[in-house]
Order: sequence, then C-alpha cells, then structure tokens
Amino acid sequence: MSGIPTIAEAARLIAAKKLSPVELTRACLGRVKELNGELHAFLLVTEERAMTDARAAEAAIMAGKPVGPLCGIPIALKDIVDTKDIRTTCHSKILRDNVPDTDATCAVKLAEAGSVLVGKTATHEFADGGPSFDLPWPPARNPWNTAHFTAGSSSGTGAGVAAGLVLGGIGTDTGGSIRGPAALCGIAGLKPTYGLVSRAGVAPAAYTLDHIGPMAWTAEDCALMLQALAGHDPRDPASASRPIPNYTAQLGSGIKGMRVGVIHHFHAVDYPVSAGTQRGIDAAIATLRDLGAVVSDVTLSPLAEWHACGNLISLTERAAAYDEWGRTRFGDFSASVQQRLLLGAMVSGVDYVQAVRRRRELRAELQAAMGGLDVVLTAVQPHEAPRIDEVPDQNVRQEPSFTMPFNVTGYPAMSICSGFGAGDLPVAIQLVGKPFQEATVLRIADAFEKATPFRDRRPALVSGLVAAQ
Amino acid sequence: MPELEDAALDFLLARAGLSATEEQKAALRAAYPHIAAMMERVRKPRGRMAEPVLTYGFAEEDLQ
Repeated sequence: MSGIPTIAEAARLIAAKKLSPVELTRACLGRVKELNGELHAFLLVTEERAMTDARAAEAAIMAGKPVGPLCGIPIALKDIVDTKDIRTTCHSKILRDNVPDTDATCAVKLAEAGSVLVGKTATHEFADGGPSFDLPWPPARNPWNTAHFTAGSSSGTGAGVAAGLVLGGIGTDTGGSIRGPAALCGIAGLKPTYGLVSRAGVAPAAYTLDHIGPMAWTAEDCALMLQALAGHDPRDPASASRPIPNYTAQLGSGIKGMRVGVIHHFHAVDYPVSAGTQRGIDAAIATLRDLGAVVSDVTLSPLAEWHACGNLISLTERAAAYDEWGRTRFGDFSASVQQRLLLGAMVSGVDYVQAVRRRRELRAELQAAMGGLDVVLTAVQPHEAPRIDEVPDQNVRQEPSFTMPFNVTGYPAMSICSGFGAGDLPVAIQLVGKPFQEATVLRIADAFEKATPFRDRRPALVSGLVAAQ
Repeated sequence: MPELEDAALDFLLARAGLSATEEQKAALRAAYPHIAAMMERVRKPRGRMAEPVLTYGFAEEDLQ
C-alpha cells in the first residue's frame, strides 16, 4: 500500500475488503523497524500479538462478521497502561520487569473493538518530569526533527502517530500530557471530560487531574477511538454514568453559527506565545470565522491562577501516590521525578485544601464564562518544539501551562495542528468544550482540519520511507 | 520572596521520609519561592464556608 491512511480511511477500505488488516499491520511494523531506533517511540514492540490481532481482524472481516471502525487498526498504548502478560514499565527502573496480570479498561475496550496492539510507547517516568536521560530507555524524539522534543508525557504515542508507526494510540493527561505531544508532533489529541474514559489500570499521576484519551492523525480518528473508549466503568471511582452519544454523527455538518470564545489574554498577555504559534492561532480564528463561527473574546482569571491551583494539586497527589516508593526506593527514580517528589514534600495539607477550594471557584468561573459559548480557544504550547537538549527544567516551572486549566476543571480539551512555525515545526490550537460535549469539540476540530491543508503533510523522514515502501 | 531555612527544609523532608543530596536541597531552596507564590495564589479571603471541590454526595447506587 502507498501512503499512511487515517483510521477512518483504513476502516472504510477494510470494511470494503480493499485493505487487509494483516498488510496494514505489516506496513506499520515495517515503519517501526525502520524508524524506532531513531524515534524511540516504542519501549516494547508486540509484533507477535499484533500479527495475531491482525489475523483475527481479517478473519472476522472475511467471515462477514459485524465489526466496528477500529477492527484491524494498528494502535499503541502508552506504557503506563496495564497490559495483561505484557511488560508495563511506566518508563521506570522501578517497574522495568513488571508484567501485570490484568488489562487496563482502556486496553480491554480497544481490544474488544478489534484493534491491533503494536506495542507500548515511551512516556516520561510515571508520566511525570522529563525528558530524562537517566532511565533504562531514552526519551522519544520528534519525527519532524529528531533533534527536538516531543513534549510529554505521552511522548511515544505522539511520535508514533505522527510517524505513522500506528494510526492511533492512548495518551494520558494530568496537566497537558495528551495535548502537549499532540501539538508538538502535529497530530490531534483529545483529553475527554473527567470521568468519561476509565482510568482503571492506568498508573496514577494525580488522581483528580488524570484523564485518558485518544491521540491520532485527525479529529475524526479521535472521535472513532473515543467511541470505543467512553463509558461507565465500576473499576474507576470517578467514572461517569451517562449515555454515550455518537461522536461522529455531527462531523461534516458544518459549524455555521457555532460560538467560539477566544481567551486572548492567556496566550497574548499572561504568557505570550511565539510568533509562529500566534500566527497559527490568528489564522485558525480567521478560518473558523470563514466557516461561519461567531467569534468573541473571553476573559478569565490570569493563567498563573489556574497553574498554581493545578500544580499544587498535582505535586501533592503525586507525592501521595508514590509515597511508599519515595521512602523505600527514592534512588531508583530519575533525577527529574526525585525532584518532583521533593517538591511535593514542600506542600502542606492546608495548602492542598486551599488549592481544592480554589479549584471549585475556578470551575464556577469557567462554567459562567462558557454559558453562551460552544467552545473556547487558546494556545496549547507556548512555542514550537525546542531541541531535546535545551528543554528547560520542568520541575520549577515559572511559566504557566495553557493546558492545566482544563485539567483543573475537567472540561474536554483538544489539540489540533494549526500550521507550521519556526524550523518548519508544527504549531497548534486548543479547543475546549463544556463537560461531556466532546461531540461539539470534535465537530469544530474536524471542520477546521478539513478546511486547512495541514493534514496532507507528514514528517519528511516518514514521507521518504513511505515513498520507498 | 520567602526563603526556606535549612532547619525547615530538613524538617519537611524528614516528615515526608525523603532524603535529598546537598545539590537537591539547593534546587529546592531555589524553587521554594515559586512554590510559596503558588500557595499564596490559592489562599484567598473566602471565609470558612467555602467548600473544596472534593466534597461529595451519595448516588443512587450508594443506597442499594
């Protein structure tokens, strides 16, 4: 086959028996063999499992069994997602030989949808800190320029999807770990509403901020993955019990009259973004207007307020989650996570409760601001991907995060590619919807992607390889 | 900016059961003003009745 299909394209071809899941999987595994030594996207390639899954998918298709759009689609799981009988390391020395005896719920759901597991992807250690060079495996590299950072912590999934090693994958997001790598790797990534996708069987980073979600080349592909992932799970105490809508039903129906609020002060005043990122935001707003959206300004508390609230909660919950190993195996963590745990010790119980009291106020503020809107828009990352050896120390971030506000509130938020900036590296916008309104976010993201040329271009190292295949 | 005295730092680390190298302690002292600034940001004059987001209610399944 030539080119790298999206999940939606591959699903149509597979259903029409014009594309073999086995051949599709072989093509992905071939790209993994060619590129993973450079990208370090995968910590473990499950080739045997992938071929078994692909043959099962192909048999189901050929037997005329009813299958969904993920049947035969090669995917990857971030290596903090438990997989039964398959090594799950959390990219940590502490768990380098850990083999879980159960699957995480998201792994079960993707398997039941007929997807093909290609492997486990790189992360920052326990989805924190990073990029770290003192771990058993190196950090992932950005396919657009391998000297550059992917962002984290769903770094391997971001790199793997951008490079076409898989068509989609699972990321997790405690302060932006789906949306950050999606932005810097030029793909789509959706952090769903808190509670929509089960966290059961996924290593915690900060319990009340953790989200699990899809990363793929397009918004449409994220919608297809979310359809399989969403739903109540009694194994997750935060799991929502709500009817699940059809996430693709509204795609392609246009966005005329939809109301978009732009939080200009976040990316223009509170933390001014790079020229390339700003151009991407401005052009995206113009495109949304051209498509018929009604655009207005929104003002919220300064970004630093949201960052302080989220960061204090994150530091404290993480310190609690890893308290036992902090006391007994501190030296086995990377220097980056060690520093994060030490910082957690600085926060008192009173400070934590003040942060969660602030959280209630900030949630109410966003709820009020979004009263007359369908989505709000701001940046995802402040700039294009930095060189991986020039990434500033993440442990004491004085710069606020554009993504943390929507972990604090639990609202659904998505990163989509909005062009290319300095160094010809991807830039992105963030779209944020109301709770459980993922269908609206996806509808606008899909309309934007189809009105712009950014989905037609893959990283050069992949384009060259695909042309030669 | 508030500073973190050596004795206070040692107390906090001991309470958490963590041991830090001198280099890590220096990094913590450098970081502390930023942590303190975040703590100050969430400490608002909201009165004692303002609830944290962690408070909860009972769902139907709790009553079964």
